[in-house]
Amino acid sequence: MIEFESVAKVFDGQREALSNVNFRLAPGEMAFLTGHSGAGKSTLLRLILGFETASSGVVRVAGTDLSTLSGEKLARYRRRVGVVFQDPNLEDDLSVYDNVALPLRISGFSESEIPKRVKAALSRVDLSDQAKARPRVLSGGQQQRVGIARAIVHRPALLVADEPTGNLDPELSARVMRMFTQFQQLGVTILVATHERAVVESLPFRRLVIERGSLVSDGMGANR
Amino acid sequence: MNRWILDHTQAIADAWKRTSDRFTQFIVLVCLLGILLAIPGWLAQIWIGMASLVPKDAVRSEAIVFLKKDLDVEARIDLERLLSEMPWVDEIMFVPRSAALEQLSSQDGLESIAELKNNNPLPDALRLKFTMHGVEASENEIIEKLTSDRRVLSLRYYPSTRIQYASLVEMLGFLGVGLSLLTIIGVLMAVFLVAAADVVDDRRRIELYTLLGASRRFIKRPYLYRATILGVLAGLIACLVITLLNEVLSSVLALSLKAIDTRLSNFPMDGRILIGVASIAVFTSWVGAERAVSRRLKALH
Ligand SMILES: Nc1ncnc2c1ncn2[C@@H]1O[C@H](COP(=O)(O)OP(=O)(O)O)[C@@H](O)[C@H]1O
Ligand SMILES: [Mg+2]
Repeated sequence: MIEFESVAKVFDGQREALSNVNFRLAPGEMAFLTGHSGAGKSTLLRLILGFETASSGVVRVAGTDLSTLSGEKLARYRRRVGVVFQDPNLEDDLSVYDNVALPLRISGFSESEIPKRVKAALSRVDLSDQAKARPRVLSGGQQQRVGIARAIVHRPALLVADEPTGNLDPELSARVMRMFTQFQQLGVTILVATHERAVVESLPFRRLVIERGSLVSDGMGANR
Repeated sequence: MNRWILDHTQAIADAWKRTSDRFTQFIVLVCLLGILLAIPGWLAQIWIGMASLVPKDAVRSEAIVFLKKDLDVEARIDLERLLSEMPWVDEIMFVPRSAALEQLSSQDGLESIAELKNNNPLPDALRLKFTMHGVEASENEIIEKLTSDRRVLSLRYYPSTRIQYASLVEMLGFLGVGLSLLTIIGVLMAVFLVAAADVVDDRRRIELYTLLGASRRFIKRPYLYRATILGVLAGLIACLVITLLNEVLSSVLALSLKAIDTRLSNFPMDGRILIGVASIAVFTSWVGAERAVSRRLKALH
């Protein structure tokens, strides 16, 4: 699903955020991307989302070289990817329901299809009873779950998360990770970046470790 | 098609929500733009009003060309033909000295002049009506040329009403263009600043939408609708202010013009100005928003 081939990313012609990164993520696979803060995790994810372009090497997603995409094509590509951030970045003047419906409206789903999908996504994150609420009145954990519902509502084949548990206590973090695991069982390819080792330690998934822009280890969770 | 309507209704609703969220800011902006735009609009209104109010015959100048006494008929007809071939000459009429004497003596207090019939001191003359579509200067050139003609004794020149206040209109025009440019630059700067601030406020939102795969058009739409609402309202205010200014202040100006020509006592509103000002309002506000969002999007890659 994701393919990095000798990818390097240099900022401002000198700061090397990534160098010679090689890996593949098979469809339906789930992996963690770990490393210290500043190691280059976010940069790697931004490459996958098309917010940055590789300085050298090739980034392929579902067989498409992302450097060939721009404008409308890039937008269409992004509609097939789900994204979760540390800060869910919800729209305060929209209800939870409308926040979750946003990707569907952007993708041009018919209005008759939208309620079904939004309800399904909200029930996946256990927020069916908060559909009418404003994000502002929800707790941090609930807001993050709204963000997750928004990321999966259009049933993306690929889900990318950058520090999704950064603002959550350990219990809530574990809950979020369990949700990701459930999505993986439904066939979604998932890449989760986090610097919190505790979050990933217990989980039996592949782990890519990045240090100062280079992949230094790639193996199952038990290895480290 | 259905989708299209839905997208646009949503964008309009979104734009409206955005507007009502910062209602005071919006109203202040609308008033500011409206008043700023009213200034050049009102000046243009005065200017066009003055230009359009000059009646047809006031545009025409007149001259009486007195001919040298010993000029023979042929030379006179020659001059007459030469003049009538000029494109600016509207009318040319020969006034023989006897007719001139008669006309003079028919005026109040000049009856006794009729006694000079046998020893008429008046020269023959050509009465000339002409219209210059240019400026005062070219009319002066003609006059000079005629005066220096060897067949011409002297000349009396009655410049048209337009020539009389051409300099006034011209000065007003310059003043107006200068002021208008200044205010339009002001309007542009205000609009660009506000639109940019607006978009910076919404930076996170624009990023989110980009992330979710919204097309540029989709992202821009609510901002452009908002800009259009703003432009239309500002345009309306500008039109209102112009009409008011015209009612109140233009009449003062007209009063002094009345001294030159009684027909210049008021300026009727010119619809083109109102339409023009309203379009400028919508256009600048639209361009401002378009530019601000585009820059934001470009920075996002
Ligand atoms: N837009 C940018 N311009 C310049 N340097 C950047 C930019 N984005 C990230 N970096 C640099 O790249 C490195 C990796 O950053 P990042 O990918 O955010 O790390 P992480 O997500 O692992 O904490 C850091 O040194 C950061 O300063
Ligand atoms: Mg990061």
